[in-house]
Amino acid sequence: MTQTLRTSSEAPQAAPAKRRGRRSATLITGCVLSGLIFLLALVSLVWTPYASDDTSGGRLTGPGAGHLLGTDKLGRDLFTQLMTGSRIAVEAGLGSVLIAAVAGVTLGVLAAFAQGWLDDTLSAFLDILIAFPTLLLAMLIVAARSATLGSAVLAIGLAQSAVVARVVRILVKRVLAQDYITAARTSGTSWPWIVAGHVLPNIWPTLVVNLALQFGLAVLAEAGLSYLGLGAPPPNASWGRMLQEAQATFTTAPAGALAPGVLLVLLVIGVNLVADGLRDTLDPATRRRRS
Amino acid sequence: MSIKKTSLFGTATTAVLAVTLTACGGGSGGTGASGGSYDKDATVNIGSLYEPQNLDNTAGGGQGVTEALNGNVYEGLFRLTDDGKIEKLLAQDYKVSGDGLTYTFTLRDGVKFHSGKTLTSEDVKYSLEKVLAEDSQSARKSNLEVVKDIATPDARTVKVTLSQKSISFVYNLSYVWIINSEAKNLKTTEDGTGPYELNKWTRGSALSLDRFSGYWGDAAANKQVVFHYYKDATALNNALLTNAVDVVTSEQSPDALDQFKNNQNYKVNDGNSTTKLLLAFNDRAKPFTDVKVRQAVSSAIDDKKLLESVWGGYGKLIGSMVPPTDPWYEDLTGVNAYDVARAKKLLKEAGYEDGFTFTLDTPNYDPHPTAATFIKSQLAKVGITVKINTITADEWYTKVYKNRDFTATLQEHVNDRDLVWYGNPDFYWGYDNKQVTKWVEQAEQASSTAEQTELLKKVNRKTAEDAASDWLYLYPQIVVANSKLSGYPLNGLNSQFFAYDIKKEG
Repeated sequence: MTQTLRTSSEAPQAAPAKRRGRRSATLITGCVLSGLIFLLALVSLVWTPYASDDTSGGRLTGPGAGHLLGTDKLGRDLFTQLMTGSRIAVEAGLGSVLIAAVAGVTLGVLAAFAQGWLDDTLSAFLDILIAFPTLLLAMLIVAARSATLGSAVLAIGLAQSAVVARVVRILVKRVLAQDYITAARTSGTSWPWIVAGHVLPNIWPTLVVNLALQFGLAVLAEAGLSYLGLGAPPPNASWGRMLQEAQATFTTAPAGALAPGVLLVLLVIGVNLVADGLRDTLDPATRRRRS
Repeated sequence: MSIKKTSLFGTATTAVLAVTLTACGGGSGGTGASGGSYDKDATVNIGSLYEPQNLDNTAGGGQGVTEALNGNVYEGLFRLTDDGKIEKLLAQDYKVSGDGLTYTFTLRDGVKFHSGKTLTSEDVKYSLEKVLAEDSQSARKSNLEVVKDIATPDARTVKVTLSQKSISFVYNLSYVWIINSEAKNLKTTEDGTGPYELNKWTRGSALSLDRFSGYWGDAAANKQVVFHYYKDATALNNALLTNAVDVVTSEQSPDALDQFKNNQNYKVNDGNSTTKLLLAFNDRAKPFTDVKVRQAVSSAIDDKKLLESVWGGYGKLIGSMVPPTDPWYEDLTGVNAYDVARAKKLLKEAGYEDGFTFTLDTPNYDPHPTAATFIKSQLAKVGITVKINTITADEWYTKVYKNRDFTATLQEHVNDRDLVWYGNPDFYWGYDNKQVTKWVEQAEQASSTAEQTELLKKVNRKTAEDAASDWLYLYPQIVVANSKLSGYPLNGLNSQFFAYDIKKEG
């Protein structure tokens, strides 16, 4: 194991018990909140109260016995749509984060190892990508591929990969400056081995926290794109689309807008708390500071 | 209804709306009950979602141009009355030659432009040529292309020669604004003959019109009207609730209406519109080349439930392209009516017993996505799979309207008297029936309106039976106003809003 990890692994023992308790409370609350939504998404794969295209309900019936949360304008069950929506939100979050992780880590590691003009070019490219509005990127991708969940996920993933890459580049550079890397290099270890054996193990705690935060942002971004009609096409019940559709009827049937709004907030708060909790538990830097 | 802002259907319609607008100038008027005293110097605040892009109706300014300026600032030789009939406005009289090719117009005497210049035949010639000009973006330009020659024998006489007979010519003139031939900068200023002159246009916010003291007819019943522009319907309704505006030209959601209906300070008016929601098949593309398939799809969709879903209790069902306010209207809701068993039978006869799959190009703004979702769920019951492809208004214009690269699409058509488009095989939906084309041509060259009406009724019935498109429903036209207001237009398109008869209680 590397030096950094060894020092940090001693740190928790020094932390007061109270702090550790609070930390795990954050993590547990986060896990419960996001876990609920993940569960909803999983269940929707095998069961929903009604079929998603069942328009047999009345128009904008309020919450009641037949329909737990009521129906939308077309008479579709709101709870069914919420469940489908949670699946789309989770898919969007996971998909974007996967793209961001693969592309971001690759680019970030490359940029960190690159020297001179290549480093400058890659950094400039990342800066441009970060400055490029996600919305515009999404519109371009939608124009090229048509509006689907895939297009939205691709746009969000690409935009986030730049952010991830920049973080990874800095983290990797910091690791590369360590003595044990010099030692490894002088002993003839090849670059791929250095990345796999020394760099990644040292950056993953920070990386995981960052990715968890990106997950929350991706869910929000997908809802935003769907709200604008750039996400999953109808009749897919994305929370963003549900919000958009319910906007006009907010005064008469508030459940249609409140329910997806609340779930969206819960999921994002949930994953942010998870990220927070993970940082407290995993990140050596914070642990040292706290102890 | 954003397509109205961007595509020709919007700019097109506008001036043409025949329905129930209050008579202008010397006309009597309007709606609303209060016959009591009113403030002659009132300012009327009008709330709208349609800000003009510019103030020129031949430069693609959008429907907001017509809403604010048509009849208020600019006038035509004719205008359309409440019941869809043509009435003389700047034309005092006109004669048609025996062969129907020469129209001689005598202009009203003593009409002054806002700049002070007197109206002459030169201005009329200029205005007509402006609509016909190469760079003109007027959507009904093609209807006026029958004009061969415009002569001005004297200051009050205009003589127009047509290349072929056109019974709609006078009707078409009702949306040609008469503009001062010397006017400049028409995109930001104006010089018309209407009862109001432009005071100030604050882009992105408001456009105010002041009563014109030199107006030739009866002066406007209020001193000033201000059009306030909002980006979304909720903000607009809030403006009405807080008295920031006195009237909303066209409500776009039935669900916001309850707050006004149950409040005696407001009046909700349910009028007639000519806006139709169409499931337009590409009649050139398989499987919609087959009449039976089109009929089957039309029969498989419960229009009534869709209308109820989108508009609550408002709006009407239609069985064809013709709204009740067009002269050739017939109730054809019984043709290809909702009947799932019939739809299945027709599909079987057409060889699609196991259904088929098609892509529905759906504009990404209301009500199209809702309608698409509904159609998908309805057609699933007869074995047809719908793939919904959402596109922007611009994409619709390029992909569907210009390139005809589609199988089926959803679109709202706002024009009145637009049945004749089924006579054009080159139109985007590609309905090609030689007999219908012939009837439409004959109708345009008819020597009497009775003959024209008779022929277009045949067109109406034939296109309905053929399910040339599926006409889902007719929009309602809902105007909500403060109860202190009377005399505002009730019906018609939101793109036309005559303000001169609006009276406000003091």
